[in-house]
Amino acid sequence: MRKLVRLAVLVGLAIWAWRRFAGPSGPRERAGVSYADGSSVVLEPGSVGFERLASIARAALRP
Amino acid sequence: MDAAEALRELTELSSQIESAVVLGADGSVLASTHEDSTRAAALASSTLELVGAAFELNTQRLEVTRVEVELEDGALFVLRDGGRTIAAITGPDPTSGLVVYDLRTCLHGIAEPEQKKKRRTVRKAKEEDE
Repeated sequence: MRKLVRLAVLVGLAIWAWRRFAGPSGPRERAGVSYADGSSVVLEPGSVGFERLASIARAALRP
Repeated sequence: MDAAEALRELTELSSQIESAVVLGADGSVLASTHEDSTRAAALASSTLELVGAAFELNTQRLEVTRVEVELEDGALFVLRDGGRTIAAITGPDPTSGLVVYDLRTCLHGIAEPEQKKKRRTVRKAKEEDE
C-alpha cells in the first residue's frame, strides 16, 4: 500500500514537472472558423489561413 | 430590445468583453460600445474583412457563421446570425465558450422583437382574410 502511494506521488510529481518545464508556455494562439453547414476549422500559427486572420485581428486589437 | 440596449446589457454581463459592435446585413454599424464613431467604423471594417478572409478559406464558399482569433494581446470574436453580425474584442486568454454564448444571446435579443412583429403581422393578415 505504501509503495502504491509512493508511486502515485511520483507520477503526480513527474506530470507536474513535465507541464511546468516542458509544456507549452504563454498564451496559445489559434483561430477558428465555423460555417453554415456546421463544419468548422481550427487554424494554428504557421498556416497561411491563420496568418491572414491574425493580421486582421491584430489591427483590430490595436487601440 | 434595440441593438444599443442589447450591447449595453452584454457589456454589463460579460467582464471579458472590452468592446463590441453590431452590424446590419448591409455591413452598416447598428450599435457600438465605442463612443468614438471612427473606432466603431474601424472595428466594423476589421470585422467585415475577417469574415471575408474566413469565407475565402473555404473552397465550397459556405456562409461564415463564426470566427474567433485568439492572440497574445487579446481575442477577436465574430458571430453572424439572422443577417446580423456581432464582433467583440476581449483581453488575452478569454473563456471562448462563454464569450460566444454571451454574443449569441445578445444577437438573439436584438432579433426577437422583429420576429414577434412578423408573427403578429401574419396572424393579423389571416384574421383579415377570415
